[in-house]
Amino acid sequence: MIPISYWRNRRSYTALMGSRCRACGAEYFPPVRVCRKCKSRDIEPREMPRKGTLITYTKLTEPAEEFGKQTPVYLGLIELSNGVKLVSTLADVSESELNEGAPVSMVIRRWTEEGPTGIIYYGYKFKVDAAYSMS
Amino acid sequence: MNRVFIRSVGLVPVGEHWEKGLADLMYEAASNALLAAPGIKPDKIIVGNMFSGYAEHQEQLGSLLASTLGMAGVSAIKVEAACGSGGVAVHEGYLSIKSGEYENVLVVGVEKMKDMGTGKATKALSMAESAEYTQVAGASFISLNALLSKVYMAHYGRKDEEMASFPVIAHRNGVTAAHAQFRKEITVKDVLSSAIIADPIRLLSSPPAGDGAAAVLLSSKGGEVEVLASEVATNQFIFQERENLLDFMASRIASSRAVAKAGIGVSMIDFMEVHDAFPVVAALALESIGISKPGMAPIDAMNGRFNCDGELPIGTFGGLKARGHPVGATGAYQVAEAYLQLSGGAGKNQIGGAKIGLTHNVGGIDSTCAVHVLRSAI
Amino acid sequence: MKSINPIGIHGYAAYVPSFRIRTSEIARVWKGGGAGPNESKAVACFDEDVVTMSVEVAREALGMAGGPPIGAIYVGTESKPYAVKSTGSILSDMLGFNRSLGADLEFACKAGTEAMQVVSGLVGSGMIDYGLAIGADTAQGAPGDELEHTAASGAAALVIGRADGNDIAEIKYSTSYISDTPDFWRRQTQHFPSHLGRFTGEPAYFDHTIQSSKRALSDTGTTPKDYRFAIFHQPNPRFPFDVGKRLGFSQEQIMPGAVNNLIGNTYAAGAMMALSCTLDEANPGDRIFMTSFGSGAGSDTFVIEVKDRILKRRLGSVRLKERMKKFMLIDYGIYAKWRGKIRE
Repeated sequence: MIPISYWRNRRSYTALMGSRCRACGAEYFPPVRVCRKCKSRDIEPREMPRKGTLITYTKLTEPAEEFGKQTPVYLGLIELSNGVKLVSTLADVSESELNEGAPVSMVIRRWTEEGPTGIIYYGYKFKVDAAYSMS
Repeated sequence: MNRVFIRSVGLVPVGEHWEKGLADLMYEAASNALLAAPGIKPDKIIVGNMFSGYAEHQEQLGSLLASTLGMAGVSAIKVEAACGSGGVAVHEGYLSIKSGEYENVLVVGVEKMKDMGTGKATKALSMAESAEYTQVAGASFISLNALLSKVYMAHYGRKDEEMASFPVIAHRNGVTAAHAQFRKEITVKDVLSSAIIADPIRLLSSPPAGDGAAAVLLSSKGGEVEVLASEVATNQFIFQERENLLDFMASRIASSRAVAKAGIGVSMIDFMEVHDAFPVVAALALESIGISKPGMAPIDAMNGRFNCDGELPIGTFGGLKARGHPVGATGAYQVAEAYLQLSGGAGKNQIGGAKIGLTHNVGGIDSTCAVHVLRSAI
Repeated sequence: MKSINPIGIHGYAAYVPSFRIRTSEIARVWKGGGAGPNESKAVACFDEDVVTMSVEVAREALGMAGGPPIGAIYVGTESKPYAVKSTGSILSDMLGFNRSLGADLEFACKAGTEAMQVVSGLVGSGMIDYGLAIGADTAQGAPGDELEHTAASGAAALVIGRADGNDIAEIKYSTSYISDTPDFWRRQTQHFPSHLGRFTGEPAYFDHTIQSSKRALSDTGTTPKDYRFAIFHQPNPRFPFDVGKRLGFSQEQIMPGAVNNLIGNTYAAGAMMALSCTLDEANPGDRIFMTSFGSGAGSDTFVIEVKDRILKRRLGSVRLKERMKKFMLIDYGIYAKWRGKIRE
């Protein structure tokens, strides 16, 4: 992560700010400049829904260096309730709950930090809904 | 327009080259190619490389190689398309000659991976994906391929032991390949009992990190192998944004265009060097090129279709898995290996009667794809 | 302390991390057996801190309040992620309130109720319409120290505005009592706090809690019998009941907010979290007596009256005590790794 890049994109990282095409209504995350579907450039910012379902996940035992201390990293492929797909780290994982179709919600967590003296990077992670995991 | 031939190739065995830096590796591959083509003086140098800046703090590899070869003054550039850098470099060399602007182009793919530790190498590889939206969330390149594998296997009902057929083929072919990083056979059981890196991808179903360089000397003046077609295409950059995650659009477009421009049919291809970085990538490559039916490539692999003595051999010198995957060099290795097959220089790995070969090299998860169709001109 | 406008609570929320460590596990490592005064404590995951837990409670409290515009975010904490950089600024950005005051307050375990006082003052004076008061901590005791049994993680938030009929409870009265009593402290560059053992009891916790509570009862002309609920800071499972008994409050009045035995001492979130649990069970007309305690030392007392609106606003939210039933146990190794107790 680059500190000022984090600052530029912070609304996307902490509020799932994506895009909506004013011409055809298609929604995107991350934000786009041109609509993939109708090629319109009339795009507005749009917060994504914070709920979705888990499509699948993987347990990563050799992550990139800045995630080393978080090993294992659980990475999920998620479909938000508006159909937009994203790849996100999963929070507070109990492996038996990571079933296909499990309802998940966005939480804000620490992603990484620039060592003990640097910036702390916060961003979205997804967590299996408590109601689902208790049932 | 000019026709494009391969005059010679030069290979450095893939592996741990603690004693050799970037310039040493490039020099060795380039010299091997140039010594095999006496009298040919390149008027352009193209270097394919992914992360020399991050790994070795060195950029401007084009000029660096020109000076290393004592050729300062020549036109020289570096091109980058992640793991597809080598294939795209050959493509740029092809275009340079095709356009009539250059006569002899030296293409070198190079990567120096082993000076970095595993964590840093994983970071370097993840740079193929979006820095702002993929790397930041903790996704490594392998983990994205793991998610793709899971989606593929769930969609088509494929099993781990079927997927494992690809690394088994690769290792079998690597045994007799002098420049391969691993020259040891493995079994499906070996693959499935190796350490998990990102479920379902295991140590033996992912390519090793290695140092390497491969050179391909292209010429308009003839050679034993002709490049019939060279195509590059792209897919939606961020993998999870694709409408259909299982559509390797870049591979599909680049291969169909290349096959059409070469004026051949897919059935005329005698062997393929496909980008078998992970079993799922090999499978989707073969399916998008039209070799296997959707979801069936692992079954075809299991049934021997892609063995060296099968209907369509792949990874004839071990592919990415056994020959090794020095990322930015891989595409150049593939073209060089196709040259060896089509010029009858493949030694123990020779595919009998090979006339037409195809190379398929991708950057990212099919974000960029370079396909070459080559024919023996002997 | 009197305000010009009547003060009301419009939304509340509390958060306890998903992980617990048993104090018998801590004692196993450091004493070869035994346990702490409490059964277990809540531990924040490696990726949680005061910012992330504050976002959780702020969003939920704002949701209950119907999303009013927020003019101030005050976070009471002794474990802010940055020594210099306001947690309030990070939260305001994440929550989308840029026209807002936002700063951090430190007063050991009473920093959260200190935030309640500050926001009440801003609303009471008419400077802002609504504000967020948050208490949050990822408290730590030095490895092997007895504090390690109780020092826990959690957060709680209140949306405070005018008592205008839309509020779910009115803060009828508040007061404070502080003195320079060095029972517990942490110097600027130290990771772990220091304390004077049993000195933290009588001259610190009990004296300040009783002084502040007595003044409140006297000022309001009420007796413990006038309240359905009572909340006292819970540094361990026993203290709130002991101090309550001395003041004339019964176990039944204190029990609804008592969570220390399972989750430990959540420091700045402690009293507010107990208030959250209590509001989960309260009915319109109920009166709540609440006194916090922070080392150093001081206490804040509030008299809160529950209003009709609580029934509607509470619909659809799951009670904190219900949510606390879901947790994952971790061992000392994971705990030490996550909470930065392994030296690099």
